[in-house]
Amino acid sequence: MAVGMLVRHLVLARLLVVATLATGANVWAANDDAAWQSLQKAAAAARALSYKGVFVCQTGAQSKSVQITHLLNSNGEFSRNVVLDGSPREVLSQGSELVIYNPKNEKIVIEKRRGQNMFPAILPANLDAIKESYNLRAADLERVAGRQTQVLFLEPKDNLRYSYKFWVDVEYGLLLKSVLLNQKNQAMESMAFNQLSLINAVDLDWFRPNIDSNKNYVMETEVVTAVDSNAVTYWSLKELPAGYRKVDQAVRMVHGNALPVTHVVFSDGLASVSLFIEQAAKRDRHKTAMKATHGVVGNASFYASIVDGYQLTVVGEVPEATVAKIANAVVFRK
Amino acid sequence: MNEQISALTDDEVAAEDMAHILTWMQSNRHAATAWSEYHLIGDVMRGTVHAGADSLTPDDMLGQNFKQSLMQKLALEPTVLSPNAADAQYASPASEQHHKKVPVVWSIAASFAAALVVGWMALQQTQTSQELASVEVAQASVPAEYLAAHQVSAPSASSYYIQPASYSE
Repeated sequence: MAVGMLVRHLVLARLLVVATLATGANVWAANDDAAWQSLQKAAAAARALSYKGVFVCQTGAQSKSVQITHLLNSNGEFSRNVVLDGSPREVLSQGSELVIYNPKNEKIVIEKRRGQNMFPAILPANLDAIKESYNLRAADLERVAGRQTQVLFLEPKDNLRYSYKFWVDVEYGLLLKSVLLNQKNQAMESMAFNQLSLINAVDLDWFRPNIDSNKNYVMETEVVTAVDSNAVTYWSLKELPAGYRKVDQAVRMVHGNALPVTHVVFSDGLASVSLFIEQAAKRDRHKTAMKATHGVVGNASFYASIVDGYQLTVVGEVPEATVAKIANAVVFRK
Repeated sequence: MNEQISALTDDEVAAEDMAHILTWMQSNRHAATAWSEYHLIGDVMRGTVHAGADSLTPDDMLGQNFKQSLMQKLALEPTVLSPNAADAQYASPASEQHHKKVPVVWSIAASFAAALVVGWMALQQTQTSQELASVEVAQASVPAEYLAAHQVSAPSASSYYIQPASYSE
């Protein structure tokens, strides 16, 4: 009698599991598309919405709160980011241009850079490149900054990039929290709103830095001296690691080096890697079989080697395997 | 001729040539002005500006107007300088020779500094460290410099707000 009951329970249990799996599979498939749509919406919302708030930026041992105001109007996208902790620092961006104000001692150092990858707009507008190299799955709902969010896991298809966990605002679609995780599932970088509201402002009164106009300012000049749009003759690239494409190439000065350096940037849509090619120091020029230097600096992996009298340095927020592959993809013409 | 005056200012010219240049300068008012102007640039870069007996800070000498007029004039004629207070107040050539020897790189840096008066301090740092680094490439420092260049062109989301520990804030 008891055995019969047990068997019936087991059968029922197994049916339940199968049923769950079946619906689970459907849920997964539906979530896949829904998940990508959610992420696409997050990519667009960061640029299209006007909002203000405070987020916490954290890497390793350091943590800073940043106050952000972002606005889109007929003239384009404007944002102001004020670092609230430690030494004052402000980033103002207009479209794809940005200026960083960095009051140091009695001087204000202004750096000009091309704007990209500014939280919450860390996703590219077009997710096709990312779809190639990452899988996306939706998880549960969580509360962030007093708002309901959908958790999404963006996981690499191989060991050549890191993974992300995203929390996307269910109502606004905006990315509220983003954590970059390494292969050991440890958080390398975390950006998370703790306060957020949409704004209706149309004026740009807030779009100016809070600096003392009586102080002198020092403009750090852009170090990129030329852009090579055509292939350089003395080097070329064999096969790049999966998903990575060349996105930029320039000749620039690197602080501490007397001669200009070729700087190539690769990206898979999210992660970026820089390759620097230059003539090796005189004493190293004849070392063709020099053992490569490689390691990790903060969140970045690096790989340096000497090939055919040239020094290659590769650095990026990617696993070591990726920087090594990129270095090994460079060949020099005889 | 102005290049020679610049070279003379930076102690690059041999003594015999110096005499020739000094003679030429005495007879040529333009050259004398150029001499004092090049010394002003050198003094600004060294952080001292002489005006008679008193020593004024660069900020006193180089007010906003000076910077603006300097940059405007440079836009028209890069090699001609005309500071607001250009007159015989500047130290005579003879006393300039007591200044410490300025590295060769300063003569190139002088023209850059003139064009970028506002940014000359940043450039000064770059030039001196280039001179030192070309002698020895330290492997340990390789990642830091390249990481910085990487973060300018391909910044990570956090790099706008958090600088690596090796940088001073």
